This record gives sequence, C-alpha cells and structure tokens, in this order.
Amino acid sequence: MSRSVWKGPFVDGYLLKKAEVARASTRNDVIKTWSRRSTILPQFVGITFGVYNGHKFLPVLVTEDMVGHKFGEFSPTRTYYGHAADKKATRS
Amino acid sequence: MTKKSQKINSDRICLGVLAGAHGVRGLVRVRSFTQIPADLVTYGPLGDAGGDRVFELSLTGQGPKGQLLGRIEGVNSREDAAALGGQELYVARDLLPETENEETFYHADLIGLSVVSEDSIFGRVAAVHDFGAGIMLEVVGPDAKSTMLPFTRAVIPIVDIAAGQLVANLPEGLMPGGSPEEEQGP
Repeated sequence: MSRSVWKGPFVDGYLLKKAEVARASTRNDVIKTWSRRSTILPQFVGITFGVYNGHKFLPVLVTEDMVGHKFGEFSPTRTYYGHAADKKATRS
Repeated sequence: MTKKSQKINSDRICLGVLAGAHGVRGLVRVRSFTQIPADLVTYGPLGDAGGDRVFELSLTGQGPKGQLLGRIEGVNSREDAAALGGQELYVARDLLPETENEETFYHADLIGLSVVSEDSIFGRVAAVHDFGAGIMLEVVGPDAKSTMLPFTRAVIPIVDIAAGQLVANLPEGLMPGGSPEEEQGP
C-alpha cells in the first residue's frame, strides 16, 4: 500500500536543515548523511549528498529526475564489479 | 564497473569469455562484456591474454542467458569447442576507437591511475561505477580502504592518462568518519 498523500513525503528533519544551510552557502560541499530513507525533494536539486551504504559514503548529485525517490536507491549496499571492456565514462 | 583483480592499464583489454560448446558442430557460447554485445567482434582480432593465440570468431546468433553463439575458425567439433570453455578474449587497447571528446574516457584507461591530492598520493582508481546518480571513481588508498569520488570537473579537475595520474580536490563529505547520532543532533 502506498503512503497517504495527506502526510506528504517523508524527510528526516535534520537533513532538511542541512540542505537549507547548503543552499544558502556558496560552497559546493558534500552533505554527509545516513538517512537513506529520506525522500528527495525539489529543493535538494543541485546539491551533492554523501549517502552512506554501510561501508562508505557514495556521492549522489541530485537532479530533477531523482525527485520523489529515496536517497538509498542511489547508494547500493552490494557492488557488482564487471569488466571495463569498451565502457566509457564522461566527466560532468 | 570493473573487478579489482583485473589487470589495470594493460595493453590488452578483455572483451569477453568463451562460455562453452553449443550443439555438436563446434559452435561456441560467448559472454560479451562490451556495452553492445555484438561489438565484441568489431574491434579487431581477438586473442588470448598474451596475444600469442588468435581466435577468428564470427557470431552466428543469440544463445541462452544473454550469451552469443559463434563459430571459431578451425573449431569443428563439440570437443574442440568445449575445450575452449573459460578462454578469455582480449583485444589490443590500441584498436579501440578514439573517444568522442576530451571529457570522455575509457574505463580501462582510468582504472589504475594514481589519485593525487595536495601533492600526496591519495590512492589508485580501482573501479568506475554508475549507480544512477552520476559516474564515480572507487579509489583505494594505501590502507586498502576505498572512497568514492564523483567524476566531475570540480572534484577531478585534471585527468592526465599519459602521466598516469588524476588530480583531485577531495570533498570533506565523502571521507569516512562521523556517526548517525551526530547527524541527528541533540
């Protein structure tokens, strides 16, 4: 069963405060968080969070497409190592 | 994403592996590691890790479990095909085409580079990941602990493959330490 709409999205209050501080400052620091359960809100877009996966903090740069998802979805707790082969990475 | 034990910055790159025999006429099952599986045979002659043996592989169709079917020149029986099971297929790094622009790099080129920060070596790139929130580099330090760095201009301003190093501005929020209780505050 999905969450009732009248409750609004769940976000840990302390994370919301951290994000507000980050938005107010001009520094592009990474916000370290353990709150994998928090929903990504529109006001988080453009901020990079370090989301803990039980071992380390994974950088999650929030984009518009990620709004409504949870932080934990972008910080997997199990890692699959494949082969490099002809795969490419583009620096953003 | 790449296995840590894989050879890094090697002259030869593993593109696939022969998974075993298919049927009785010498066809082989092939697992391709390339972005588009059929590209396995497009880069040039496939060989073993040392480049001593060349496999003239032609793809004939789709096999089970996402594998490809192919025929290797000189392999005409099931026994010969089965004997090649587990053989990795390599291609010379030079045969891969140039990337589209200066901001695009092959994973194989990035893996193994030293990451330098403030004139000291922070670690080596062990893998390149993309979990849906931007490309990140897994950097393993001298203490064998790994850190994830976003592959952005702000964090990795200089990529010097010829010199074998990346220059990084390490962001504080990705370093180990802290606790959830500290985050929640009093």
